[in-house]
Amino acid sequence: MKGFSRRRMLKTIGAAVAAPIGAPFLNLAHAQGSTIPIGVALPMTGNAGAYGPDMGEAAKRTVEMINKAGGILGGRKLELIIEDSESSASVAANLSQKFINVHRCQALVGYWGTPEGMSSRPIAIQNKVVLMVSSAANAITEGNTEGYVWRFQMKATDWGIVISRATEQSLGFKSVGVMGLQNAFVLPIMRVFEERMKALGRTVVESLVYNPEQPSYRAEVQRVFGKKPDAVFCFGLLPDFVSIMREVYRGGFDSKVVALSIAADSEGKFVNAVGADVAEGIRHFQPMPDVSAPGYKRFLKLMGAPADRVYLFPPNTHDQIAIAALAMEKAKSPMAVDWSKQIIPVGNGPGEAVDDVIGALEMVRSGRNVNFQGAGSTCDFTPNGDQIGRGMGQWIIKGGKSVFVEYAKP
Amino acid sequence: MIDFIILMGTVVCFSAILALALNFQWGLGGMVNFGLAGFYALGAYSCALLMLKGGFNTFFATLGAMGIVALVCGLVALVTLRVTEEDYFAIVTLGVGEMLRLVALNEDWLTKGALGLTGIPRPLGELIPAPVYLYFMLALSLVLVAACVWVLGRLSRSPFGRVVRAVREDDVVAATLGKNVLWARVRIFAIGGALIGLAGSLHAFYFQYIDPTQFSTIVIAYAFMAVIAGGRGAHVGTVAGAAAVMLLLEGSRFAKELVPGLESDQLAAVRIIIIGIGLIMLLIYRPHGFMREYRLQVPLKDSLGQARSQPPKEAPT
Repeated sequence: MKGFSRRRMLKTIGAAVAAPIGAPFLNLAHAQGSTIPIGVALPMTGNAGAYGPDMGEAAKRTVEMINKAGGILGGRKLELIIEDSESSASVAANLSQKFINVHRCQALVGYWGTPEGMSSRPIAIQNKVVLMVSSAANAITEGNTEGYVWRFQMKATDWGIVISRATEQSLGFKSVGVMGLQNAFVLPIMRVFEERMKALGRTVVESLVYNPEQPSYRAEVQRVFGKKPDAVFCFGLLPDFVSIMREVYRGGFDSKVVALSIAADSEGKFVNAVGADVAEGIRHFQPMPDVSAPGYKRFLKLMGAPADRVYLFPPNTHDQIAIAALAMEKAKSPMAVDWSKQIIPVGNGPGEAVDDVIGALEMVRSGRNVNFQGAGSTCDFTPNGDQIGRGMGQWIIKGGKSVFVEYAKP
Repeated sequence: MIDFIILMGTVVCFSAILALALNFQWGLGGMVNFGLAGFYALGAYSCALLMLKGGFNTFFATLGAMGIVALVCGLVALVTLRVTEEDYFAIVTLGVGEMLRLVALNEDWLTKGALGLTGIPRPLGELIPAPVYLYFMLALSLVLVAACVWVLGRLSRSPFGRVVRAVREDDVVAATLGKNVLWARVRIFAIGGALIGLAGSLHAFYFQYIDPTQFSTIVIAYAFMAVIAGGRGAHVGTVAGAAAVMLLLEGSRFAKELVPGLESDQLAAVRIIIIGIGLIMLLIYRPHGFMREYRLQVPLKDSLGQARSQPPKEAPT
């Protein structure tokens, strides 16, 4: 390599540097126009990759609908910038910086998982930009968020409340075992669930936290199922739950199993992975939209989906964009400093209950008060940004299919 | 846009320091470190905890983190190389790295487990107003990268640097020449460890939030990519390699704006393809990376058999 020179290396690196940096300038005009950019970070790859595409579709259709009806703030169109968060905290943080500094977004929406939400939280607060997450861990909205962080999901401790109440009232288990994935949103669910079980005089025979991505969970399964409780509550995600259930089946344990739908259903992936025999009789819980609400039915039409389709997360994405648009319209400003203060007035009211974004926008424009009822929930919030009024569904797997049991609010 | 480039520049800087550490340990010293992500996490957590729980300021917390990672790395090298043959070293580092990550994930009382540590202070964070802080952070990171390159450059040209390379090429020969191979390896791994601690501290300062998911095995892959792309053993090359890897990762996000009609979920797949193609092209056209290792070049004799008069030329490192 005698011909190698510093100059040649500089050229190579220079070209590598110039291409990606120069690229956005080619297309900068759109960012400076009158459109209002909204940054959407969704899990397209990684362990939650199953959920991103539908959430993105919901965001696109919602924005299309608003733009078709004339946009907001006197005809300004919304513009989506959808990016893959790779289900990772550091990628999400970089994306938030890109949304804020490259696209000048004042609304960051999506943010499925707790790590994504936690890493973007300080960035949103520092830049005075609204962050709307779909993650559950209580910590996301704890402390002073200055009104910039909003959760479009039931918070984790409330999951524990609903699941323990169902256990007490309809499932009637006397003794339970608990297994939880070492994960920021699972641990609060476990804590509340165990506290409630003990308060109700039920026996918690064993409780353990397991690590993600283990090749086998035989020891953990043996320790919990070996004590023969009436039921084992397994709070985890799809990959670990699949391994656990295989061990349970092999071990021939007969305790009932209760799990979260993101593990035991996961758009049918669980039954596909383990087979109908292993899955038979498993109950699973997950926060879900009120499928009887007119807002949800309207959302199904928007998505062009059949009437019995249950979307867990896309309705939240729809609501995030709807609330952002309504708050901007009410504040008469696209700046988050102004419209973040209007999120509670348009979400909680007082005002007329409306489930149609376009109608609600018109009412706000004409100076009337609205109480927006979303697709995923009634879009009511506490002052620190927690969503209230979202409920939880319960299903049981029978013959390889998840059969809906009931819907309950905390 | 400029702000985003500056922020990504900062990310490149601490990735570069991490890659420089790996380059010193593996590129120059021949000690494969598959536990890099764990040591990186140790650096970030040590720095954050020294500040949040120990009450240290950012400067001493960074020094502390460098010291802790150097110590742990040194101990790992000492224990491992005494009891096993060097081939096992890579596997042991993998195990130790995973242990460190599991400690971060499970010791809630110390690291807050999966929830991670929030509110990590930044150097001079209270004095410098937020809008200009990113410029300061980039400047600080650039100075640190330059300092690392300079120190490593000096080290690799020093007598110790020759021992490092000798140990890599053939430890038996080095031992025969009276060099203490074990002690050299402990020092190589500890010096690399100090740099990993520095990179970890910068990571904590930049994100202000750390959790175990940020230190997954992909970090190791990116660092190895940076060293291979930059040229094993070449310090400046490694920095360029780290920049190229980061540009490929973050820059490929802008592909959507160049290719109209590409959906975001398709882009996610296309990005991975672009990164793969980039690496393959690099290995075809630049199998040795951007630059080559520093080597003292002896003047060639001309046709008359006399040495040319120029002084020995040093290739850039």
